[in-house]
Amino acid sequence: MSKSVYFLLSILILAASAAGIACDAELEGETDGELERPLAGGETTTFDRSSSAFTNPAANLTEKNLEHHFLGDVRFENQFVSAPATVNPGLGPVFNNTSCLNCHTENGRGMPAVGNRPGKSQALVRVSLPADRGDPELPGGPVPVPGVGTQIQDQAIYGVAAEAVVEIDWVEYGGSYGDGTAYTLREPVVTLTPSDGGSFDPEMMTSLRIPPPVHGLGLLEALDEETILAAADPDDADGDGISGRPNYVYDVQSARTVMGRFGLKANQPNLLQQAAGAYRDDMGVGNPLFPDEDEEGYDIDFETLEATAFYTQTLGVPARVDWADVTVRRGERLFEAIGCASCHTPTMTTGDHEIAELSRQTIHAYTDLLLHDMGPGLADGRPDFEATGSEWRTAPLWGLGLAHTVLPLSGLLHDGRAGSIEEAILWHGGEADGSREAFRTMSASDREALLAFLRSL
Amino acid sequence: MFLTLKTATGRGMIFLLAALMLTAIAACSTDDDDSGAGSSSGSFDDEDVIADYADEVIVPTYQWLADEAANLLDAVDALDADTTDGNLATAQQAWRDTRLPWEQSEGFLFGPVDSFGYDPALDSWPVNKTDLDAVLADSDDLTVDYVRNLGEGLQGFHTVEYLLFGAANDKDAADFTARELQYLTSSTTVLAEIAANLATSWTEGIDDSAPYRDTFATAGQDGNTAYPSYSSAAQEIVLAMVGICDEVANGKIADPYDAGDVTLVESQFSFNSLTDFKSNITSIQNGYMGDVAGAGTSGKGMNEWVASVDSDLDDTIQTQIQAAIDALDEIAEPFRDSITDPDQAANIEAAQEAINTLANTLQDELVPLIQE
Repeated sequence: MSKSVYFLLSILILAASAAGIACDAELEGETDGELERPLAGGETTTFDRSSSAFTNPAANLTEKNLEHHFLGDVRFENQFVSAPATVNPGLGPVFNNTSCLNCHTENGRGMPAVGNRPGKSQALVRVSLPADRGDPELPGGPVPVPGVGTQIQDQAIYGVAAEAVVEIDWVEYGGSYGDGTAYTLREPVVTLTPSDGGSFDPEMMTSLRIPPPVHGLGLLEALDEETILAAADPDDADGDGISGRPNYVYDVQSARTVMGRFGLKANQPNLLQQAAGAYRDDMGVGNPLFPDEDEEGYDIDFETLEATAFYTQTLGVPARVDWADVTVRRGERLFEAIGCASCHTPTMTTGDHEIAELSRQTIHAYTDLLLHDMGPGLADGRPDFEATGSEWRTAPLWGLGLAHTVLPLSGLLHDGRAGSIEEAILWHGGEADGSREAFRTMSASDREALLAFLRSL
Repeated sequence: MFLTLKTATGRGMIFLLAALMLTAIAACSTDDDDSGAGSSSGSFDDEDVIADYADEVIVPTYQWLADEAANLLDAVDALDADTTDGNLATAQQAWRDTRLPWEQSEGFLFGPVDSFGYDPALDSWPVNKTDLDAVLADSDDLTVDYVRNLGEGLQGFHTVEYLLFGAANDKDAADFTARELQYLTSSTTVLAEIAANLATSWTEGIDDSAPYRDTFATAGQDGNTAYPSYSSAAQEIVLAMVGICDEVANGKIADPYDAGDVTLVESQFSFNSLTDFKSNITSIQNGYMGDVAGAGTSGKGMNEWVASVDSDLDDTIQTQIQAAIDALDEIAEPFRDSITDPDQAANIEAAQEAINTLANTLQDELVPLIQE
């Protein structure tokens, strides 16, 4: 490159920097902003704002780990079929879907729809009985429903009856912002009809779920427990109305109770167990961690399970856009000012992880991985380990602005009820009552700034 | 700041920095009450290319697919009514004719084909032969509704292919059982339905969803949360091209070739694998040039924008697309035999390399030009 080009570049850089400073001066005297593009996933960060944004390997993988990642990628896409078969046998006998990817379309959030594809079968219903009604499947966990387990499998291989027909109806509520602008929220009502013509236990608790996004999970696994615990305030000792506590769940491999991190109520301790649970419960694919009942041997071996988990550990996180836009930056300040950032933690640093690329990364996941009471509006009434029926784990917000790019009809929140970011905010309750009210009553331009910030993630 | 700088050309660097500066300046000129949040940031700026990609490439290809699938259903109905070798040959050709636009659509596997599950419903591989045999051996009435409710491994192109061609392209009309014909008719009906829905999802919308054509072609306009900038739509176009290169070179070819495993070859029943692969690269050619010869449409291609920014890069991309197609042409049919034929190894590896070379050019040289 010629010297004159470098000279031109330095002029451009200076001009950009000067422009940034001018912007800061406009921001009500706040001048501490940085113009450098924030790297959401540290050195794992990728640059893709298309529908494949959540499917890219971490940018810093070694060649060997990249190869391992691609091996896991194939496992993640594998379509299972009924045994016996030469390719991918072991589906069912009952299941929710036939591959990881079928629910986690482009690794993103799923759609709140059930039944036969195309266009359906991404949501599922978790079920359990009250704690005094039987023994949990895992120590401290939910009590399974006899004959069903802890999840309704609404699909089955040929010749076998699915457990139930699941139907979702929607109930709409109207509301209005402080400035009088009207909005509509919707809530799902699930109807379960057992395939055998009988009826379910009247005490059975249900929880509708959509698949959460998969990217960046390895970085969350790499956070030290101390880092997570530092933000916990179970008794709200600081009196800010926000408590936050970790879930403690059963780790099958070590046979002990450990901190939960994954799943919408943080009911899984690590990504290997998360993947193993999904293989068995979502696809009926028995594996070394969770074998099929009444089946000898495993449908997949440990190597396959591990490769799938590795894939989810080593997905990169897309970088933000419009990070220097003045409206976006104002929205970022509002996000902090009204308390969103109290749980959606903007910045954390990972500890050591066996995958070195995940270690000691400064990340912007916007989660504290803690459980918070989100109020009666969002409560599913179904406890899961130490999580109560109204507690949910803070959802990571990285990549939030890509939700509809990745899957246009995907929903937000645990059951996909929110069709937009503003709807998701308006559903917040419990510990987030104050933040939601602050959003609801702020000016239209402030709301738009806050949303512009969230869309830039 | 931009990891892409590592691979960008000098020209690309200037573009990225200019884009950064413009973003910063645009930010300053934005009034606090303005709701715009840099919706046109990014250096790709040609909305006509995006609109034509929807209207002259994607929609016509899906319409072509829907038309061929309807023809396939007619041919299968004729075979069912009069099961002769002549009618079987016609139905087999109709299957190949339907396969062509489908494979030529795989260079843009985004939008409804992905989000509504049309891809697995049309093109699931492998066929769930255990269940298919069980269904055929059973006595349930094989109505369209019945087949529609079976799993994806029991429908779509490859189930129809298996029924039409047999396990090794060796089916005769006399081989058909009554239940096979019934299953074939019902599953082809479902296939034609899905192909029609795929086209409709772009032109009119399915259920409550907006026409995806509108979602895509209005990239960069206020309120478009799927494609908030021109750049995001351009990234969608190019990264989908990279994606199909990867799938062909490192999946469809590499999986069976590396394992020496015939059972992993897609479209093996009809010996159509190599035609599939070539159609996939043709899909990239169609998209890049903005023309679909099979559908008789022509629009403003990505090539025009690239040429305006870096004409050498445009030449390179056009040359590499054709080289990839030519390299696939060198491999002998059927692909299921070639993967274990030592004389074909060099041809297979040369084709993989040609496709990967194209993918690298698109990823490392074109993507940085269009990125935000």
